[in-house]
Amino acid sequence: MKKHLELDNVTKYYAEQQKQLHALHQVSFDIDHGEFVSIVGPSGCGKSTLLKIIAGLDSPSSGEVRVRGSPVHGPQSKISMVFQAFGLFPWRTVLENTEYGLEMRNVPKSERRDIARHHLEMVGLGGYEHMYPKQLSGGMKQRVGIARALAVDPEVILMDEAFSAIDEVTADVLREEVTSIHKETGKTFVLVTHNLPEAIELADKVVVLSSRPAKVKKIFQVDLNRPRDRAHELFIHMHRDILHLLKEELENTLLRHKLRGVKELSDIHDMENPGKP
Amino acid sequence: MIPRQNASNYLWIGVLLFGFASWELVARLRLLPSSNLPAFSSVLEVFLVSIQQPAFLFRIAHSFMNLLCGLVLAFSIALPMAFIAGSKNPFDVTMTPLVMIFGALPDLSFLPLLVLWFGAGDTAAVIMASVAAFFPIYFTVREGTKNIPRELYDVTTIFNSNRVSTFTKMVLPAISPHMFSGLRLAYDFDWEIIIAIEIATKVAGIGNFIEGQVSTGSLTQGFAAILAIALLAVAVDKTFFGTLESWSKKWS
Repeated sequence: MKKHLELDNVTKYYAEQQKQLHALHQVSFDIDHGEFVSIVGPSGCGKSTLLKIIAGLDSPSSGEVRVRGSPVHGPQSKISMVFQAFGLFPWRTVLENTEYGLEMRNVPKSERRDIARHHLEMVGLGGYEHMYPKQLSGGMKQRVGIARALAVDPEVILMDEAFSAIDEVTADVLREEVTSIHKETGKTFVLVTHNLPEAIELADKVVVLSSRPAKVKKIFQVDLNRPRDRAHELFIHMHRDILHLLKEELENTLLRHKLRGVKELSDIHDMENPGKP
Repeated sequence: MIPRQNASNYLWIGVLLFGFASWELVARLRLLPSSNLPAFSSVLEVFLVSIQQPAFLFRIAHSFMNLLCGLVLAFSIALPMAFIAGSKNPFDVTMTPLVMIFGALPDLSFLPLLVLWFGAGDTAAVIMASVAAFFPIYFTVREGTKNIPRELYDVTTIFNSNRVSTFTKMVLPAISPHMFSGLRLAYDFDWEIIIAIEIATKVAGIGNFIEGQVSTGSLTQGFAAILAIALLAVAVDKTFFGTLESWSKKWS
C-alpha cells in the first residue's frame, strides 16, 4: 500500500479574543490507500479542526497535508465529507441533495439523477427520492449525507462525528453499512469520533490525540477480522488501553487547570495582601 | 362532507359576510345618517360599475405601480446590505445601529423633504414607499442570513460551489422563509404609505381619488374605491405571497 494522505507537522493557532489558541501541535501521520483511520482524543482537543484542515476547509498555521504527494490548498475534488449534523439542504428533496455535488461539477441533469439514484439504492433509500429532509429520521438523513459524499466518486471520505447525532441502534446498523461500503469501494476513510468502541470497530488504525494543543499520542493498528466483535478479547484490551491514555490526558488537563487556579488564587492573595508572603 | 379542519379555514368568509350584513342593516334601519354611511348594497353597485371604467382602473394601477416600484427599489438595496450584515460581523455592528436609528423615525416624517427635493409626484411616492419597505426587508433577511448553519457553508465549499451558486443555490433558498415574510410586511406597509402620500400630495392614484370623492360628499364612490383596494391587496397577498409561503412550508 502506498501513502494516500500525509500529515506533516500540522500545527494550528487560532486568534480568539486577542488570545492565541494553540489547537494542533506538529501532528504527523500517514494514511494509506483504502485505509480506514479513526481519530480520537479528549473533547475539545482539535480533532474536528484537524479534519477540516485535511478537507481544505481550514489551513494549517504551519506544516502541510498532502494528497498523493501534492499539498492541499483549499477543497479538493478527490475529498468528500459526511457531516455531524448531516448538512442537508432542507429545501431540496433527498434526490436533489444527493446530486448536489454533481450539480456543482456541471454533470448533466439526467446523468446526475442516475448516479444519485444508484447511490441512494446503495444506502437503502431507494423510493425516498422525493421526500424532504424534515420527513426523514436522523439515521435516514445521514444515509443521504453518505450517498451525497459517495456520488462525486471521491478517493477520500472524511466523517466528522458522523454517527453521534443518531440513536445507538440506528448508528450500529449504519456503521455496519459503512464497513461494507468501505470494503466494496476500497476508498480511504477518515473518521473523527469521541466514541471509542466505534473508532475501534471501524478502523484499520486508531490515532489517539492528546489534549490541547493536540499532538499524536499513540497510533494503534487494529488487526482484527471484520465484522468485528466488541466482546473479542483484543477489542476489549485495545479499548482499555486507549481509554487509559485518554483518562491520563484528561487528568493532565485537570491538573493543569488546577495549577493555573492555584496560581490565580495566589495572585489574588498577593493583590489583597500586599507585602505579605 | 368538508373535514372540520378545512371548514374552520373558511370561517373568515362567514365572519366577513356577517360584517357586510350588519353594515347593510345599520344603513337600512338608518341607525347612522346615510350621508355618513351608505348601504353596503349601494357601495357594491357603484363598485361593480366603477371597475368597468378605465379611468378608475387606471388610478388603481397608478397606485399599484408606485407601490411595486418602491418595493423593488427597497428590495434591491436591502437584500445585499442585509446579506452582508448577516454574514460579516464588522459590517453588521457598524451598519445595523445606523439602520435602526433611521428606522425608528416615523417614515412619513421624511415626506415633506422628499416633496421639497423631488416635487409632489411619483418620484417622491416611490422613494417614500421604498424607505418604508426597506426596514422589514433588511431585518428579516439579516436574521435569515445569521440563522444559516455554518455547516451548510462547509457543504458548499467541500463540493466546490463557486460564489454565485453558493448565493443562488444555498443562501437564497435558506433565507427565503424570512425574506418572504419581510416582503409581505413591506407590501402591507406600502399600501398605507402610498395611500397616505396620495392624500397628502395629490398624486393621481386611488388614495387621492378616495379623498376627492369623500370631500365632495360622494361617500358611496369612496367606499367602492376602498373596497377595490382591499380586494386587490388581499388578492395579491393570497396568490403571490400565499404561493411563496406554501413553497417554503413544504420543506421548513
